[in-house]
Amino acid sequence: MTTFWILLAGFILICALGVVLARSPITSALFLLGGFLGVAVLYLALNAEFVAAVQVLVYAGGIMVLYLFGIMVVDSEVLRLTRQVHWQAWPVFFLVLAFFLWMGHELYHQEYEPPPKAVPVYVLQEGEDSTALEAKLAKEAAERQAPNPTRVARVLFSDFLYPFEGASVLLLVAVLGAIFLAKKEV
Amino acid sequence: MSMPLLILLGFTLFCLGLFGVMARRNFIVVLLSVELIFAAAGVNFIAFSELTGNLTGQVFTIFLIAVAAGEAAIGLGLLIAMVRLKNTANVDDIRELKG
Repeated sequence: MTTFWILLAGFILICALGVVLARSPITSALFLLGGFLGVAVLYLALNAEFVAAVQVLVYAGGIMVLYLFGIMVVDSEVLRLTRQVHWQAWPVFFLVLAFFLWMGHELYHQEYEPPPKAVPVYVLQEGEDSTALEAKLAKEAAERQAPNPTRVARVLFSDFLYPFEGASVLLLVAVLGAIFLAKKEV
Repeated sequence: MSMPLLILLGFTLFCLGLFGVMARRNFIVVLLSVELIFAAAGVNFIAFSELTGNLTGQVFTIFLIAVAAGEAAIGLGLLIAMVRLKNTANVDDIRELKG
């Protein structure tokens, strides 16, 4: 099991390094594709099956194709003439390294405790029948056993219904903005 | 993987993305580095969702993916406008708003 985690984390980090350091944007995009697939496997290993599927479908399937398409549409001469690395690369490298060492040390030595589990207590009134309560508890236990997509959908369409609709408006605005930016006469 | 190591993995992804945004000149690579930062946020969300047994983190990751899709669309629109108007993909050449 530990070998699996080391291999997965190493794969994701090597892909991320490739994104930042590769010379050609196509290579960067393909490294990012590998990184997204690695992150999807990580989600799968952390019991988030639905999000892993969405990651592969939307990120690896949709967004990456969009990026590759964008790179192909743009004249490759323009991309090749772009000097690859900024003059501020070395100062930024040391700045980010210092930030990484300091903050990473802090984060690593933090205590990560799961919150204490709340145990519900039910008090039966005088003369009350316990069958209704038992049926309710059995239903709740069955819901906890439901597959991951079912439970995610319950949360998404009850507690987060309005943010969900807001996300659809956001995507609509983003599409309109992209069309406006990319059309011929601005 | 233990929780501190997962958080550290997400943080390393974030730092690599931060470095890419600040050190690269090519607009496409800058956008890809922003995607790395999004991935770091997603790893953190899922890690804490697993730690607390709360599904809100997973739902937020779905919203995160939607926001990343919008960002990719706008970013590529900007790239195409940039190449059409200035014939460059270098972020340093877009400095007309600089006083």
